[in-house]
Amino acid sequence: MAEENEIIIKLESLTKRYGYGDAASYALKDFDLTVKRGEFIMIMGPSGCGKTTLLNIIGLLDAPTSGVYLLNNEPASRISARRQARLRSKKIGFIFQNFNLIPDLPIIENVALPLVYSGYHKTRRLIRASEVLDRFNLKEKEYYMPFQLSGGQQQRAAIARAIVSGPEIILADEPTGNLDSHSSSLVMEELKRIHSEGNTIIMVTHNPTLTKYATRVINMLDGAIDTDIKTVKDSDLPVPVASRKKKPQKSLKKQKKSKNKKKKGKK
Amino acid sequence: MSLLLKTHYELAKSSLRQNRTRSFLTCLGIGIGVASIILILSLMGSISSLISSQVSQMGSDLIVVRPSSTRSTVDSVVNELTSSTQYLKSNLTLKDVSLIEKLNNVSSVAPLAVSVNSLQGDDFVPSATIVGTNANFLKIQNLTLKSGTFLREDAKTNTAVIGAGLANDLYGTDEPIGKSLTLLGSRFIIVGVLSKVDDPINFNNLDLDSSLFVSAKVLNQIDNSLQIQQINVRATNTDGIEDTVNLIRETLIASKAGDTNFSVLYGEEITHPAGTLFSIISGTLAIVAGVSLIVGGIGVMNIMLVSVSERTHEIGVRKAVGASFSNIFLQFLFEALILTLTGGFFGLALAYVLAFLISLVTPFAPYISWEILAVSFLTSFADGLIFGLYPAIKAAKKNPISSLKFWG
Ligand SMILES: Nc1ncnc2c1ncn2[C@@H]1O[C@H](COP(=O)(O)OP(=O)(O)O)[C@@H](O)[C@H]1O
Ligand SMILES: [Mg+2]
Repeated sequence: MAEENEIIIKLESLTKRYGYGDAASYALKDFDLTVKRGEFIMIMGPSGCGKTTLLNIIGLLDAPTSGVYLLNNEPASRISARRQARLRSKKIGFIFQNFNLIPDLPIIENVALPLVYSGYHKTRRLIRASEVLDRFNLKEKEYYMPFQLSGGQQQRAAIARAIVSGPEIILADEPTGNLDSHSSSLVMEELKRIHSEGNTIIMVTHNPTLTKYATRVINMLDGAIDTDIKTVKDSDLPVPVASRKKKPQKSLKKQKKSKNKKKKGKK
Repeated sequence: MSLLLKTHYELAKSSLRQNRTRSFLTCLGIGIGVASIILILSLMGSISSLISSQVSQMGSDLIVVRPSSTRSTVDSVVNELTSSTQYLKSNLTLKDVSLIEKLNNVSSVAPLAVSVNSLQGDDFVPSATIVGTNANFLKIQNLTLKSGTFLREDAKTNTAVIGAGLANDLYGTDEPIGKSLTLLGSRFIIVGVLSKVDDPINFNNLDLDSSLFVSAKVLNQIDNSLQIQQINVRATNTDGIEDTVNLIRETLIASKAGDTNFSVLYGEEITHPAGTLFSIISGTLAIVAGVSLIVGGIGVMNIMLVSVSERTHEIGVRKAVGASFSNIFLQFLFEALILTLTGGFFGLALAYVLAFLISLVTPFAPYISWEILAVSFLTSFADGLIFGLYPAIKAAKKNPISSLKFWG
């Protein structure tokens, strides 16, 4: 058996509380989760169950009220604000439901934005952004403004922005929520490709048909995990492109039989 | 680090370009503030260089004795220039003049006893400046006569020399030689007319063109309240002038039994008190202009606050993709600095356009110095720093999650 990918994210009884006393409400309650490199996790669950809160905490945009978040074995609470920002620009890529492109900047500068904060020269930023846009078949649109693009194109540009600095973790909050089914499948193909290159993706969705792309599906309810199903063995997760030379390439065939229920299964 | 600064500069520039009109108006506010300060400094520099050029025109061998030894406080300067009591305070006498005349390295000495009196010539002039002096005055002042002769020590009668302007007022002509006038009941004959002099600011604080010059000795006999406000001395040799100054000072102290209530000045010191007064006036005006700079700065702060709240969503996006506190802080601070520095630059240009226009109708030429350039740079820089600080902190402190929800 091949050695397994390392643990990239570990959450231990993570809690996010809003308000105090009688008015206290929990967006996350004693949430435990272990994510290995190369996983493609889809998180589902009713509105208000804490999915966005979870992604914000994993993405270092928000801090838990209590509990431990280990990012690459390092407690996030001990990472300075400055280094958290640098990690967001280099190691974490965000994709949002409403794209969140800056309307005043052309597409290429939007895509290059994370590179601004990881210390690239302007020309290198634009060259890199242009390469990535090329991959997403948006090269001829690079100097368009966001409003000149369709929703699907904007979301692909936003995905380009999320991966431009080669992050380890992609966090996508309902990335297809505002898209028609054709654009949705284009976006999902992009995510699938990014995943096959060894990236870790955590994606929130309401669309059950998209779970076929995932290696693991988590259902949340009231700030906690309801069901957690792995559809791909840990040993079959893709490895990062950079380290492939060391390891033999794994087949990406999905091992649907190895369902692995954690916590109480509702079915 | 320099890369980071360059990046912030680019970011700030592009966001300013998106709001051209607003940026322009804000710059204008700063520009006007800087322009008024620079204009005042330029005028001030121009006036003081005018004064010192007049001193150097008078020559480096000139020494001036004035009553009152206090010279450095604002009060004393204002007193000297505004109050008539200084005439009564003077402790200089005609005896001092003859004492100085005898000293080593002194070539000539002229007293200056100024009073204001009515004159009756062909016409009546209710108040004219009467200067009591001696024959040396013409030479010491480097003045020339339009016609006639100057006062002579050996004159048998009461003679007077008249400025061209005053001659016109008294006789309707600038050739009144031989005509007579009455001053304090005594009759004087006009023996000479001064050439027109066009220097409104001079170290005597006198408008020579509209003055009457008579012998100080004669004036002393008919006006017993006469006081000597100044004694002008020419040294023979410029090299030993400091020694001469000290010698005059010691001689006068000795003759006045220790009274040190006078000052002996040479070179730049002579421009005082006119120079000091201009500094005071300019300083006051500069403070007023500084207020307009503060108003401009508040304009910058206002615009920056609007900009920060309009771009809340953008700040959220930038933070989500990796902008740190200092990244956002610097981006907005640079915006404020670019606004004020651009405003300062245009203010500088505006000031010199105005200074040039002023120079067309006044003797004050535009005056440029490194100090003035530095002041305009530093004031606009400080303006941006002070008034950009709060909006920049406010922007940098924004919570990324709630910022992303802002119209998101
Ligand atoms: N800033 C906040 N203040 C108070 N309650 C909040 C705040 N943000 C989120 N919540 C609450 O936390 C819960 C989880 O929100 P969220 O993570 O956005 O859910 P989801 O993304 O699953 O729809 C919700 O009940 C929501 O009302
Ligand atoms: Mg949500």
